[in-house]
Amino acid sequence: MKKEAFSHGDLIEITTFEGIKKGTYMPSSEKFLTLKLESGYNIGISKKKIKSIKLISKYKKPKENLCNVSKKKNLKTITILHTGGTIASEVDYNTGAVTAKFTPEELICMFPELSNIANIESKLIRNMFSEDIRFAHYNILAKEIEKASKNSDGIIITHGTDTIGYTAAALSFILENLNIPVILVGAQRSSDRPSTDAAINLICASQFIAKSNFAEVAVCMHENMSDESCLILPGTRTRKCHSSRRDGFKAINSSPIAQVKTDGTINYINSSFSKTSNLNLKLKLIKENLKIGWIKSHPNMYSKELEVYKSFDGLLIEGTGLGHFPINSTDKETKEHSKMLNTIKALTKKIPVAMSTQAISGRINMNVYSTGRLLQEAGVIGNYSDMQPETAYIKLAWLLSNHKKEVKKLFTENLRGEISKRSLE
Amino acid sequence: MNYKNIGFKCGLEVHQQLETHNLFCNCPSLVRDPNNPNIKFNRKLRASAGETGTIDLAAAFETKKGKKIFYEACSTSSCLVECDDEPPHKLNEDAIDTAIMIAMLLNAKIVDQIHVMRKVVVDGSNTTGFQRTMLIATDGYIETSKGKVSIPTICLEEESAQKLNSTDYSITYRLDRLGVPLIEVATGPDIKDPEHAKETASLLGMILRSTNRVKRGIGTIRQDVNLSIKTHPRVEVKGFQELRYMPRVIENEVQRQQKEKSGKPHVRKANPDGTTSFLRPMPGSARMYPETDHPPFEITPNQIKLVKIPELITEKALKLEKKYNLQPSLAKELLENKQFDFLVKRYTKLEPFTIAQILIETPKEIESRLKINASKLKEQDFEFVIKNLNENKIQKSAVINILSKLAENKKVNLADYEVISDTKLEQEVKKIVEANKGASLNAIMGEVMKKLQSKVDGKKAMELIKKFI
Repeated sequence: MKKEAFSHGDLIEITTFEGIKKGTYMPSSEKFLTLKLESGYNIGISKKKIKSIKLISKYKKPKENLCNVSKKKNLKTITILHTGGTIASEVDYNTGAVTAKFTPEELICMFPELSNIANIESKLIRNMFSEDIRFAHYNILAKEIEKASKNSDGIIITHGTDTIGYTAAALSFILENLNIPVILVGAQRSSDRPSTDAAINLICASQFIAKSNFAEVAVCMHENMSDESCLILPGTRTRKCHSSRRDGFKAINSSPIAQVKTDGTINYINSSFSKTSNLNLKLKLIKENLKIGWIKSHPNMYSKELEVYKSFDGLLIEGTGLGHFPINSTDKETKEHSKMLNTIKALTKKIPVAMSTQAISGRINMNVYSTGRLLQEAGVIGNYSDMQPETAYIKLAWLLSNHKKEVKKLFTENLRGEISKRSLE
Repeated sequence: MNYKNIGFKCGLEVHQQLETHNLFCNCPSLVRDPNNPNIKFNRKLRASAGETGTIDLAAAFETKKGKKIFYEACSTSSCLVECDDEPPHKLNEDAIDTAIMIAMLLNAKIVDQIHVMRKVVVDGSNTTGFQRTMLIATDGYIETSKGKVSIPTICLEEESAQKLNSTDYSITYRLDRLGVPLIEVATGPDIKDPEHAKETASLLGMILRSTNRVKRGIGTIRQDVNLSIKTHPRVEVKGFQELRYMPRVIENEVQRQQKEKSGKPHVRKANPDGTTSFLRPMPGSARMYPETDHPPFEITPNQIKLVKIPELITEKALKLEKKYNLQPSLAKELLENKQFDFLVKRYTKLEPFTIAQILIETPKEIESRLKINASKLKEQDFEFVIKNLNENKIQKSAVINILSKLAENKKVNLADYEVISDTKLEQEVKKIVEANKGASLNAIMGEVMKKLQSKVDGKKAMELIKKFI
């Protein structure tokens, strides 16, 4: 194939054995050249068939239009910290490229409603998938929040939805004496589509910050399938319960804090939250090199699965039911289970081993069955806690980072709303 | 009118729904779900920034506020994919096969690698704010009586949601139709005159139906006509109810264009009276970008080979005509009949022509002559009469009588139609002739038929009367 120099966005003419095709050169794969035809359709042309390619004209980048943002004195200031899961993006219909947008001007351009709710500041921290987030990112975010909190009335963190609950829990623990709202916002439908839920989530989060005296970490996502209202979900209680629905986020063993409508109406559901104050924010970061394991109880377990955690700093068990794990040897088929119990005993001598449940909701009670009692005797902590495993995991890491000597005591004490004394849900 | 001289330029766009499940999920491709909607929600759609070039904030705000869009759906025909609460599933392979089949029937070249695109539509007719569409084949053509008509593109796309109602502030859609696979065939501007447009449209319709994989009935196929003359820019005419009115609508539209001095490109609606009326301005060029939720996919030569090219309906009809010596119109109608082949094979004493007539002509006669609704006749009703005719238990003349009774759900007693023996018939006729001495031939015949009804063959009876008079 005879090739001339051309790059993405250039208008080219391709001659193949079947004829001539004209269009825009697009990012292509190894086997196929992607061409955007005049009609707007992309097609892949087998590279084997191409005889020659002629450059017709080079790509000219269209002028960008920026919205002017003028600050309004009577409005609160919200700082938006971006971590990824692009909440705002623009599509270039010439090249099909999707560009993430982060500056306040760009955000106002995309969501003009925001300019009537608050003055917007923003900063790009990372642009990453949330499944890639590590403890180090929690600390980076906490430091940015501390910085931004000095001249903001509230913080919005844009975040991929997969681990938004984990980050909310981590920030809940790290940000001690938090005096402003920190709201995490995600989108289940990407912002490059006209039907994105990003806009409503962002608008409701902004409305909540602008109109409430809430000063905790929370998650703001759709309440139902409609673009009308969002729920403010407690930072240590939020779980992604549906892989794709807009309203896939639920408060576990707890209730939402409030319902927020796009027009700014707030209906409080649970008002026992920390209010805005003059407290001095203190960062209690998570040690970034900690190794915390997490093992889910399942049928046919082997002690080998547990042994890998010998070199770890802590282990969370996601047990069955009230907090159980296969440790009973009742017949010849369950011989392995005695080994399991011994391995747990060996682990608890070195590291904290905490129990949570894989049941979707409910509390740990390791007194009801002998299994639970044996586990307690073996040194497993976490009895009577109603923390969801995600929060329990983060809390274990945070305690080991900041209260190493009191892990056993504090793990089952309520510090950030992660444990409730009464079971109501 | 000399259409060449006025610079007549005309092309068609045909949209045909496919008979399969939805394009990007496993919901049945129901166009009208009879159930009551049990899913209701409302949404707002936002055009992506940058496309309007708006800098004025207030203006941007107003345009983006838009109408509130209400949706209703039945869980029998729509799932989270139609609600845009789940990414698209695997692309419907049946629909791809059908698209390839159609592309081959239209002599088109199938694209090496297909890219699913998002065509931005923010009126709410797609919950996503875009229509998923893909270019399947290019550079096809069909032969018509007035030469080749080119088919530059064949696309496969999602059908939109059905609009229920609209106010200044809101608009309501039903989701049952959303996601039904749709083939779009576009012709080049090669149509020579209004009659040629009808011919081309009907030819395309026949080719699409030949696949046996397309939906049938009102609204399942839609034709748009693109039309311009030297002195008037392109106008798109939508909403043809019946193909036979197409030439008249085009003629009227040409005359309208000739009268209009400074016409602008726009979209018009074909009215039932043959005129057209303004619908909306011409939409800007389609804004398309890749559907990132579905990877591009290759169509291999092997895959193309595996697709069986169906025989065209016209070819099949011709074969049938020749094989059974049928009228062309009867053969064409028989193609739609599922029973014919089976009945011909099973009831060998009857001429295929007789079976064809009973299946196609008799119901028409029941409706036109007896004014009885024949649509309730079931396959077993037809087989019942054909079987008895084959076994010589009834006369051919009894067929219409029996079928009309069955159509009305009345009981049929075969004894009433019993074929009487020749000797008995002779006796009966003799008796009647004697009783009606002096009466005319026709009057006697009337008496014979009254008494013996459908039990006798009219020809035979007449011969006997003549013998005894």
